[in-house]
Amino acid sequence: MTEICCELASESSTSTPCEKNSRTARRRRMEIRRFKFVSSVASPVTERAQKRQKLGVYKPSLSRECENAVENSALEEEKPLSVVENGRSKTKEVLIPSQSSNFSMSTVCTSPSAPVVPEVCGEYPKFGVASVCGRRREMEDAVAIHPSFCRRDLETSTELHYYGVYDGHGCSHVATKCRERLHELVKEELESKEGSSTEWKTAMEQSFRRMDKEAIGWNDSVLGAKCKCELQSPDCDAVGSTAVVAIVTPEKIVVANCGDSRAVLCRNGKPVPLSSDHKPDRPDELNRIEAAGGRVIYWDGPRVLGVLAMSRAIGDNYLKPYVSCDPEVTITDRTAEDECLILASDGLWDVVSNEMACGVASMCLRGKSQAPPCSPAEVSGFENSDKVCSEASTLLTKLALARHSADNVSVVVVDLRRRDT
Amino acid sequence: MATDDQERCRSCFLKWMNLQHQELSELDQALTLHASMTDSNEHNLSQLAQKCIKHFQDYADMRSQLAHNDVSAFLVPSWCTNWENCMLWLGGCRPSQYIRLVYALSGLEIEAQLDEFLQGTSTTGTLGDLSSKQFDLFNILQGKTIRSEEKLTARMASLQEDVADQPIAVIAKRLSRVGEMNWEVNRALDKQEEEMAGILEEADRLRLSTLKELVGILTPKQAVDFLAAGKKLHLCVHEWGKRNDDLRHGREEIIS
Repeated sequence: MTEICCELASESSTSTPCEKNSRTARRRRMEIRRFKFVSSVASPVTERAQKRQKLGVYKPSLSRECENAVENSALEEEKPLSVVENGRSKTKEVLIPSQSSNFSMSTVCTSPSAPVVPEVCGEYPKFGVASVCGRRREMEDAVAIHPSFCRRDLETSTELHYYGVYDGHGCSHVATKCRERLHELVKEELESKEGSSTEWKTAMEQSFRRMDKEAIGWNDSVLGAKCKCELQSPDCDAVGSTAVVAIVTPEKIVVANCGDSRAVLCRNGKPVPLSSDHKPDRPDELNRIEAAGGRVIYWDGPRVLGVLAMSRAIGDNYLKPYVSCDPEVTITDRTAEDECLILASDGLWDVVSNEMACGVASMCLRGKSQAPPCSPAEVSGFENSDKVCSEASTLLTKLALARHSADNVSVVVVDLRRRDT
Repeated sequence: MATDDQERCRSCFLKWMNLQHQELSELDQALTLHASMTDSNEHNLSQLAQKCIKHFQDYADMRSQLAHNDVSAFLVPSWCTNWENCMLWLGGCRPSQYIRLVYALSGLEIEAQLDEFLQGTSTTGTLGDLSSKQFDLFNILQGKTIRSEEKLTARMASLQEDVADQPIAVIAKRLSRVGEMNWEVNRALDKQEEEMAGILEEADRLRLSTLKELVGILTPKQAVDFLAAGKKLHLCVHEWGKRNDDLRHGREEIIS
């Protein structure tokens, strides 16, 4: 079996702090960043000595203001797992998602892009979301979070957690559609591949392609849609969305990216980019576009056919095949040094470097215990630790706005630290 | 009489601007006092913020009353400069600007604290004064405010289009002499003005409700900070406008 392994840990110095000129900065990052795809033996199946938690029924909550606290006080005490050798002479620590008996999850989400938070018993990762309209008058970002969205029973008995950030352009409906559907498609693809669990790449690519088809199909029948483009349906072809999706398993982080949103792993306070922005001037993307007969025209930055400032996206039918919906997939082994995962739209990355984002997030995660409790306006009932990720994501969002980000800003922070330390 | 109405409108505005100056110095004083003392005067700050809102309410009420006689005086105020009038939305500021001002003020604070925070020497352990919860509430308020603004903008657009339609356009076409007045013209124009006054009233109501909600989200200290910054900005825009217009019309030497 083939596994694509992304070795990026050594390339953490890919961007400089205080990047005001985001385009130059991004180009610089892109020049340096290289993904190395290593073929290797798949990891052995991890035996999990824990009791399975029964999955409840997903109940999507789409309210504009959803504040969910899922307390799970009756969770079984779980046993630490053995360390697994994965065949690449690299020791992998198996993280235990939850040992605490009063583990809880919280998210505060308030925008139309509010993530769908399932009400479900089980083990929850800690995460936080901030998604704001910011200086735009329209909200075109969307966020989806689905803890334990899928299990691969026959394989690893592993629960998979899904995080997605979608940044729409033209209108919000493709991003909204991604929020509603992409995780379901990924789930279907993963479940249909039971028995070949490591074919992440294929599953993710297939899901993104299906998502793209659905988005375009939906554009054709957009009548009755509640979005601003409903009166201009001929333009509906010119609507699309980025998608950066991270699936976190106890051993791995699988990231599929399409567009210029980004996933960054914060490892020991240093950033490890898990995706590479799809910009039309990225040399390999430029080649791909030109090979397909398209052109990149500089019009307020490099744009495919002078229109779209990214080289891959879901939707954007009129720019096919130059704008591709194929994601780039990276698979990263989790280590004990991993602190958190940051997924964000370019509203953050345009004005905040990877280093800065990691610095802020990691400071937030580490330093919270000494900090005074949040303002009295905070919703009570959350464990202090549960707020940390929310605080981190809000802080990054505030920082983006402080630095004059002119776009919608969406930030997801996932705590990856071992819970037993 | 029309000129009387206009004079009343102007004096209503001038009183309001004087009050703004007064309130600004009160707010500034309160902030200085607050900085030098402990938290004991939070209540005073809160009262001060409420007083400012009350004044705004009174001003809006007065405007609404006067507007029924002369709405255009408020929509395109002759007491404001051309430059300032370019910035107006339905006779005042856009309520969504309040949220932008909050972001700007919060940004100022964050940049000042960033180095300390990253070095772990921050005393508060956080960046900027606004909590996650407040931030979320602002985002909701912003969405709501923008949608309300768009609705009023659309209503104003319809009203403007109506001028070129029945009945006004038809009346104009039938007139024997350009600019002639008759009861039909009066009735049509009065109706138009009445509707505009309604829109102005709703715009003021939106400004007021947005401000109220926003101050409710902020802590008393934040609220006073915000009100002081807002009033100062408003007064500055007014003065800058005069300066701009004067320079352009050559009425004044460039001030060194």
